[in-house]
Amino acid sequence: MRQAVRDLPPPIAGEGRAGGKVARRFLPTLREGRRARRLTGLGLTLPALIFVFAFMVYPVASLAILSFQEYAPLRSTVTSFAGLANYAWLVGSDLVHQSIWVTVVFTAASVAIEMGVGLAIAVLLAKLVVELRGQAGRLLTRLLGGVFILPFATPAIAGAIAWKTLLNPQFGPVDAILHTDIAWFAQFPLASVIVADAWKMTPFVLFLMFAAILSIEPEQYEAARLDGANGWQEFRYLTLPLILPVVAVTAAFRAVDAFTKIFDTVFVTTGGGPATDTQVFPLLIWRTTFDYLNFGHASALAVVAIIVSALLGASLLAIRRASST
Amino acid sequence: MSLAVSLPRSRGSAGTNPLPRSRGSAGTDPLPRTRGSAGTNPLPRSRGRAGWGRLVVIAVLIAAALVTIAPFLWLVVSSLKTETDIFASPLALLKAPTLDNYASLFKQFHFAIATLNSVVISLGVVMISVALGGLAAYGFSRYPFTGSRMLLTGLLITRMVTPAALVVPLYLIMNALGLLNTLISIILGIAVLNLPFVIWVLRPFFDALPREIEEAGLVDGLSPFGVFLRIAVRLAAPGLVTVALLSFIAGWTDLLFPMSFATTPEATPLTSGLLQMQTGYKIYWGSLMAGGVYLTLPTLILSFALQKYLIRGMRLGYGR
Repeated sequence: MRQAVRDLPPPIAGEGRAGGKVARRFLPTLREGRRARRLTGLGLTLPALIFVFAFMVYPVASLAILSFQEYAPLRSTVTSFAGLANYAWLVGSDLVHQSIWVTVVFTAASVAIEMGVGLAIAVLLAKLVVELRGQAGRLLTRLLGGVFILPFATPAIAGAIAWKTLLNPQFGPVDAILHTDIAWFAQFPLASVIVADAWKMTPFVLFLMFAAILSIEPEQYEAARLDGANGWQEFRYLTLPLILPVVAVTAAFRAVDAFTKIFDTVFVTTGGGPATDTQVFPLLIWRTTFDYLNFGHASALAVVAIIVSALLGASLLAIRRASST
Repeated sequence: MSLAVSLPRSRGSAGTNPLPRSRGSAGTDPLPRTRGSAGTNPLPRSRGRAGWGRLVVIAVLIAAALVTIAPFLWLVVSSLKTETDIFASPLALLKAPTLDNYASLFKQFHFAIATLNSVVISLGVVMISVALGGLAAYGFSRYPFTGSRMLLTGLLITRMVTPAALVVPLYLIMNALGLLNTLISIILGIAVLNLPFVIWVLRPFFDALPREIEEAGLVDGLSPFGVFLRIAVRLAAPGLVTVALLSFIAGWTDLLFPMSFATTPEATPLTSGLLQMQTGYKIYWGSLMAGGVYLTLPTLILSFALQKYLIRGMRLGYGR
């Protein structure tokens, strides 16, 4: 893309002028009417809006309709009106209750670990980078930056394969080192999934926290040092309050993502098992659709998921707005 | 009155970098602002206590770095062992590295066509995301219209939609359109979830461009679309690279849509292809690990090469 653009400058001067007469007559400019400018804005955004409408808004609307119908292709290809039957099933089903509970626990635990560890490492890394001046600090930053970007650049499914083998009771190195033969993903399924997810997502938190800490003015640390603050006090009374808005937004984002998007890691490592012990909500929707082939039930679940997502999304925007003022 | 001449002049006051610099993404450094703070740091250094403290800090950081790379290293090393060796000595280092597991990917598991499919899907997602997302982000940034703020907020909320929830109705739609088992259905699914994110990341890049250049373009007789294509795109190139990278990764790593929409080998990319190695009866551990490494290498290389873009995208897409 860059290359193509770089070749363009001469045409802007020459050809742009030739076409200019036509353009000036028919097309709105920044100085011309407001109405024209609005139409331009609509025109530029329209392709994206149509795309999102066709493959997101319309499907979600049809989903809402489907959730009031019975549609289970295995039993009958005919859809029939079912009233609130799908929602009644959802409210009464132990499978659904368990799934929601598992998802909440997973979200709370993985976000807590990621924020805690990510923030701690970011603070230490920032401290070191600031203390080691110039060349050494830069080199270290680049080196550790390269290391910590690795899990982030690893596809979730590949990370899941790594952890599935690491924690394997027959040949996994974790059991070999501990001299145990624990089948982690069977005996401690949820904890294992949380570890795998925390490994992948902690660096992400780390980068955001690191950037936030380094944007604090060095003079403020100088003042704190002169007042005799130790490392912990520096963190507690200077760093933390200053980066708290970023911490809040990051935690909220991670929570929304963990709650709504956890799928690959669980699917590859435990498949939702043993039994349904790690059947997180997105996985429950998927299984209801493609394994149990009950589109009515699946739609009701999906509607609930989308309502929860929208609420989380809206509150996230509210947090963002509150923290930026 | 050529634009090529007026470009540097009008930029003068805004600094030489048309990027959203105010965000602290300091130029070429992958970890923002380290250079500035490390260079001009006025902190007094007290040797004695700080010396031990620093050793502890370094030790903790090295430990964290080891924990971070160990799982992937283990995957790489194990994928170069024979399946017998994997089971016999998990902790042993490589004795005789073999590429048998990698060969099996292509012999047994259709990885040649799966690779091609993954490339097509990723590029398809990149094209849709950059084209539609770029236009929309520019429109939202420069030509606000009645309701555009609301639309933008709505778009941002769609980012939170559970992908698994969208799969249900999209499956029925793709079925009705006869698009199941085609790459098109997979591309459309991934792209529509990716697009709101792209717009969110790109808009600040356009916001930060100096308006005078674009106005000069309009005065010169370019249409707004022409200004977008010939001026704005060029100035916001770093943003477009960021977005293209993130979109490529989104397409390359997606598992949900391929496993939902495609069952034939002809339409199966690498991610869902990997699932064939763990059947109910047998798990092909060696191939599975080799496949994991194979899937990771492209995103890993791209991420290292374009590290600063990735981190900038991370910061713009989340946080602020």
